[in-house]
Amino acid sequence: MKTPSYLQQFFEETGDISRFAARFFKEGFKPRYEFGELVRQAFFIGYKSLPLVGITAFIMGLVLTIQSRPTLVEFGAESWLPGMVSVSLVREIAPMITALIAAGKIGSSIGAELGSMKVTEQIDAMEVSGTNPFKFLVVTRILAATLMLPILSLWSNAIALYGAYLGANIKGIVSWSLYWSQVFQAISYSDFIPSLIKTFFFGFAIGVIGCYKGYNSKKGTEGVGNSANSAVVVSSLTIFVIDLIAVQITDLLGLT
Amino acid sequence: MKNTTSSNVQLGMFVMIGFVLLLGTLYLIGSNQNLFDQTFEVKATFHNVNGLMKGNNVRFSGIDVGTIKKVEIVSDTTVKVTMVIKNDVHSFIKKGSIATVGTDGLMGNKLVNISNPSSGSGETVEEGDMLASTKPVETDAMLRTLDLTNQNLFQITTDLKRVTQKLNNSNSLWSLLLDTSVAQNVKHSIASIRATTKNTTAFTNDLNFLIQDMKNGKGVAGILLRDTASTIRLQKSIQQLQQVTNRALEVTSDIKAVTEKMKTGKGATGVLLSDTAFAKDLKRTMKNIEIASDRFNENMEAMKHNFLFRGYFKKQEKELKKAREDSMAMTFKKIK
Repeated sequence: MKTPSYLQQFFEETGDISRFAARFFKEGFKPRYEFGELVRQAFFIGYKSLPLVGITAFIMGLVLTIQSRPTLVEFGAESWLPGMVSVSLVREIAPMITALIAAGKIGSSIGAELGSMKVTEQIDAMEVSGTNPFKFLVVTRILAATLMLPILSLWSNAIALYGAYLGANIKGIVSWSLYWSQVFQAISYSDFIPSLIKTFFFGFAIGVIGCYKGYNSKKGTEGVGNSANSAVVVSSLTIFVIDLIAVQITDLLGLT
Repeated sequence: MKNTTSSNVQLGMFVMIGFVLLLGTLYLIGSNQNLFDQTFEVKATFHNVNGLMKGNNVRFSGIDVGTIKKVEIVSDTTVKVTMVIKNDVHSFIKKGSIATVGTDGLMGNKLVNISNPSSGSGETVEEGDMLASTKPVETDAMLRTLDLTNQNLFQITTDLKRVTQKLNNSNSLWSLLLDTSVAQNVKHSIASIRATTKNTTAFTNDLNFLIQDMKNGKGVAGILLRDTASTIRLQKSIQQLQQVTNRALEVTSDIKAVTEKMKTGKGATGVLLSDTAFAKDLKRTMKNIEIASDRFNENMEAMKHNFLFRGYFKKQEKELKKAREDSMAMTFKKIK
């Protein structure tokens, strides 16, 4: 029985991405390290994404609070609003929103950049000139994405919680200090640490998939567009899959 | 180059603030779980912890002072709970303090309440000490009781409703309540009662004095009551009185019998009293006697003047005169 071609393609691509990731570890830990390029990529991936991530997180915090209020009021548990919203934000919403925004912004830019380099044969030229293109282009980007995503997630946590504070004060009154003491009363390490660890994997997935799609871009302008597009789609999907796996692991470890 | 430097600065700030947020969050969460405070441990055993878990709060006088470190089963009826409590409150928790499993609000998280014994004094608790525990209030049991209470309350309010309805429908009561003259009367009555009471008090006082006097043997009643000799005499008197009465009774009965007889006309007196013909005869006889005695008087007067008897009468007159003179002389003599 012949395997259907699309399923074969899927497994083939999964295998390729795995090999690509393995190559990242193999080359990444070997000197010489491209620190300058790493910092430059970190600046683009981290700092340049901050406004977008910040606005999204702020709106999410605000909206989630406003949306949750009526239900809690129905139960007479309005005072639980900060605690409940903060747990949802820290555990799930802030990391996911950050990762999805980053997948859209970083994944597509990496895919397009590497794709066009590949198409214009700059990568080949680099190899000829003696620079390891994988090390210079891929390792720095993946590493930057892996390191920046958690920091972006921390930022988005803080901004989303501030948004939630404003949201809680639109209809009700919660003082600044009461709000934060309720938030930290509700959040425990078992909420915060797994969600922080999760974001490393999100960043890694975004970097690996973006670079893979760009690095293996097909010839022509269409190939660049394709690789940018599929980098976003696949990395977004991967983020959800990782989230699913992460929640299972935290649940198994009893960190609920 | 300048561009790279400024972007590096921006990146550095971004990363640094990220790290500050990370450390701040870690610290704040940790301090909420008392990870960075100086702490001490105390233990308590319970029969039932109602779902108390590691990490739940420990409260002392309503303040969060620690967390639950461990909940473990020791035997089939005992659960040992280890608590971590801040050193700040160490001096306030006594050896006789009591731990209770409670709930934060009606449906909130479980927690352990530590309360001091009512006596207030005692030694401060030490590291690893075992606190006394009381049986926690179970929500189920509470709700069951509440249900019963509600039923009773329902019945009571129903009755109350009926009563108020009756009150509302009765005009007489309302008129009574609204009538000011009633109040006025009541006021007057109360004033009268007050006066009466005052009088009664005075009266009682007097009575008291009287009784006191009687007790002390003063007054007639006192003598009567207290003097045993007079009591005996009195007894005798009463006995004699009894006898007299008895006699009187006999006499009366005799008299009664006589009267009966007289009424019926038996015996001489009876005839005298009841026979009217005889009475007439008697009247006539009496008249005759009267006339006869008048005549006799005349005869006697005539006899005085008769010579035969004159001497006797004169002699008698002289003797009488002499006796009178003698008695007068005697009186003079005595005066002298």
